[in-house]
Amino acid sequence: MTTLLLVPILAPAAAAATTAVIGWRRLSAWAVVLAAVSVLACGIVLGFRVGTHPQVGLGHLLRADALSVTMLIVVGTVGTLSCWASIGYIDHELAHAHTTDRGARIYGVLIGLFLAAMSLAVLANNLGVLWVAIEATTIATAFLVGHRRTRLALEATWKYVIICSLGIAFAFLGTVLLYFAGRHAGLGASALDFDVLRAHAAHLDSGVVRMAAGLLLIGYGTKAGLAPFHTWLADAHSQAPAPVSALMSGVLLAVAFSALLRIKAIVDIALGTGFMRTGLLVVGLLTVTIAAALLVRQHDFKRMLAYSSMENMGLIAIAAAAGTTLAIAALLLHVLAHGIAKTLLFLSAGHLQAAHDSTAIADVTGLLARSRLLGSAFAVGIVVLLGLPPFAMFASELSIARGLAGAHLAWVLGIVLIVMTIAFGALVHNTSRMLFGEPAADAPLVRLSGAAGATLLVGMSACLMLGVTGGPLVHLFHLAATTLGVSG
Amino acid sequence: MTAGGVFAAALQGVGVAAGAPFVVGGMRQVRARLEGRAGGGIGQPWRDLRKLLRKQVVTPNGTTVVFAFAPAVIAGSALLIAVAAPLFATGSPLDSSIDLFAVVGLLFIGTVALGLAGLDTGTAFGGMGASRGLTVAALVEPTIMLAVFALSIPAGSTNLAAIVSTTQHHPGQVVSPAGLLAFVALSIVIIAETGRLPVDNPSTHLELTMIHEAMVLEYAGPRLALVEWASGMRLTVLLSLLANLFLPWGIGGDHPGVAGVLVGAAALVIKVAILSTVLAAGEVFMAKLRLFRVPELLAGSFLLGLLAVTASYFFVPALGGST
Amino acid sequence: MSSTYANAIDLTAGGFMLAGVMIVWRRELRSLVRLLAWQGAALAAFPFVEGIHQHDGALVAVGIAIASLRVGLLPWLLRRAVGAEAEDRRESTPLLNTTASLLVAGGLIVTAFAISRPLVSLDPSTATRAVPAALAVVLLGVFVMVSRRRAVSQAVGFLMVDNGIAATAFLTTAGVPLIVELGASLDVLFAVLILGVLTGQLRHTFGDTDLDQLTELRDL
Repeated sequence: MTTLLLVPILAPAAAAATTAVIGWRRLSAWAVVLAAVSVLACGIVLGFRVGTHPQVGLGHLLRADALSVTMLIVVGTVGTLSCWASIGYIDHELAHAHTTDRGARIYGVLIGLFLAAMSLAVLANNLGVLWVAIEATTIATAFLVGHRRTRLALEATWKYVIICSLGIAFAFLGTVLLYFAGRHAGLGASALDFDVLRAHAAHLDSGVVRMAAGLLLIGYGTKAGLAPFHTWLADAHSQAPAPVSALMSGVLLAVAFSALLRIKAIVDIALGTGFMRTGLLVVGLLTVTIAAALLVRQHDFKRMLAYSSMENMGLIAIAAAAGTTLAIAALLLHVLAHGIAKTLLFLSAGHLQAAHDSTAIADVTGLLARSRLLGSAFAVGIVVLLGLPPFAMFASELSIARGLAGAHLAWVLGIVLIVMTIAFGALVHNTSRMLFGEPAADAPLVRLSGAAGATLLVGMSACLMLGVTGGPLVHLFHLAATTLGVSG
Repeated sequence: MTAGGVFAAALQGVGVAAGAPFVVGGMRQVRARLEGRAGGGIGQPWRDLRKLLRKQVVTPNGTTVVFAFAPAVIAGSALLIAVAAPLFATGSPLDSSIDLFAVVGLLFIGTVALGLAGLDTGTAFGGMGASRGLTVAALVEPTIMLAVFALSIPAGSTNLAAIVSTTQHHPGQVVSPAGLLAFVALSIVIIAETGRLPVDNPSTHLELTMIHEAMVLEYAGPRLALVEWASGMRLTVLLSLLANLFLPWGIGGDHPGVAGVLVGAAALVIKVAILSTVLAAGEVFMAKLRLFRVPELLAGSFLLGLLAVTASYFFVPALGGST
Repeated sequence: MSSTYANAIDLTAGGFMLAGVMIVWRRELRSLVRLLAWQGAALAAFPFVEGIHQHDGALVAVGIAIASLRVGLLPWLLRRAVGAEAEDRRESTPLLNTTASLLVAGGLIVTAFAISRPLVSLDPSTATRAVPAALAVVLLGVFVMVSRRRAVSQAVGFLMVDNGIAATAFLTTAGVPLIVELGASLDVLFAVLILGVLTGQLRHTFGDTDLDQLTELRDL
């Protein structure tokens, strides 16, 4: 059992060490992909073994419950697709002299460390370990965002590091205050363990817990891209290399939000459900509104995708605010579906950027006519994001709507529907210009290597599969919702 | 109202009145010596006052009774503070009616009187000096109140004698953050209020750089003597207050005998001498701040005063080993 | 004995907060780094004094380790970043003038004292009563980060926030579990290294580290 908990963390770390030693070669590149596959495999195996009681390992530092398993599957899926695409990306960069061998080696090491840190964050049993892992992801991604060393990439990296480090510092202060409350309630040295905190949450001093919860919401909300701390998101996700953007948009935001879910479970017992519900509602509504507004006037397709991620995170926050079992389960399905779709979209965007050497929407015309594979991959991704059947986000958004109605939040549902219609319209308007119609006369040729094409095909089929058959995953999501202690 | 208290109050008035020019002279002498000059001697300000008193009273055209009486107002307010404040002993008869806020108000009355006199002359320099002087005074008032309020929190009262005797019995609180911050803030305030470097250069002859001197440019003869003497008294009184609020040893008690008052007087003379020497020596190494930088310095001292208040509210000092 | 301990904690907290105020007041980059080193010394004094008071050798050791990190290593890294700066070392027209900054700082300090009431009322011991000073430094650090234009000044602000949070940790609970403290210190070190490298790259690409030049990425 401990092995299953340790492999998702150690395998990517070992792949990073391999890359550090031998540089970026076929062997080290495939080692990273293999590490991501192993994360997914451990997630699936743990999924079969986990029940209503969490499994703890490594002396109460790591845990596997339904939520960890869900997040592990997301990390594994998105990780596999991104790392597979990284191989082609780095090869292309090296061939066109956009990066050096040293840059490629740093890339490989940091990707491995990034995956290891994310696995540690979802498998943590302890608020302190969770914090260390999420801080580690910030450190690992800092230079990944600035990989291309252009002026814009440096600006994005600076904003990212400053804002996210500040957010993480606030989260640390919140953790310290929660530890203080726990120690004062007599919890001893294990006052940061999730189970211990949940068992004794009713005895924690509410004034201190309120401060701690606010700080943790601000801190982890910054990492999850929630407004008003979202200003780093569009810059970082648009300037990073495409596979890194996929990882960050697809799964890092969700991992940060899963930290908030765990904290919500504790705070709901200590303060009653009102506090986190109000906080998440305010933040979520603000996020979706700002994201939809900024989507309307986009000229850059990578920034457009980044704002779409922000909008989805806002929707996830609202679903968490609703707090019913249906809402939480739908939230997890939404995370998985969004992760795969965003990966597909960012990888396609990466190929577009490589072909056109720009990320302007106006530069891309008639994509479907020029390359059926790339065009349909992009189109499928957009259709998933729009929430149309038969893809999974249709089911998840419908369930979130039902969850909101069931939690007596119909007015929130109304606002969300209006905002999402605006976002829907903006996305359709922007991407139809890109996909349909006649290509411009001087449009560059889009060449996809075999591996790149295979990655896109796998991504498309994953989206389709998830949409058609929820299957055993639905049971897993419901189990996660129950483990978080929600009712109704 | 004890006999000892009345004696102490009277002696304070006489002592400050007589000693103020010596304090000014002492500071000038220290500066002169440090700058390598011979200096005019400690008694020079008294000699200047004597010379001015023998001159003719000159009144500029167009000035009113404000110009005529302002020197008396400023001298009177300084003398009143000297008599009432706990300088030689804490048992002064006026002490129960004069607390900290009254002292601040009396100082401000003097400043306003001088400012109005500067305006009354109708000259450009008078107006300029008045506006600058009142700006500095306005910026300094909040800091004075905050700093001394910080000192009054441990004593539980703004009565000066109460604060002094609390500090006498609990000397540790001077070294607390609140005490140190209040000391620094009050020092900056005194420098600003009495027009010393780096806020104002008392020995400048360049009118465009003057603050206090510009207000009194039109005064001559006996009135100028009164103004100079009043400035000296304000400086002496403020330095004595600073000394006694933070280092109250030697001061006479509530019902002092003659010996107690004399001991208090001697202690105060020593403390004021040391403080004025330190101030004068510091001035040698400082340059005057440009006028638009003065608000920065005063805002900084305001912040220190605010810190002192918050510190004394929340760091309940360990009075005599509690906690 | 206990009154000496209380005085020591009070004095350290006062010096900690005063260093924070001086960082808001001063403009030259070298003075900022020096003041940050003083603040690090005050931070290290907290576990040191606690350790001596409780006869706990581990806390004293932690204090010494923190001193070496925050008084020695981190300011040295920052001084190197400052030393590589060209022309004048002063802050170029900050966003708020000094007087306004000082008044805002005063407001932030009062806010910090007000919001930390629940903490102090939960555990009114000597150490916890100094927590408002630590929270004040956190707010002052955020203010410094927001109102400065040079990259090194923002890094100084971030380290101030971190100093304040670490001080809160020491004053409320005599430190969080060791693994978290270790992770936090390592993360701070890495963050500073990253910021240092980024400053170098920024200077290399933009020719200056005036952050107002970083405005090319925007939406409207």
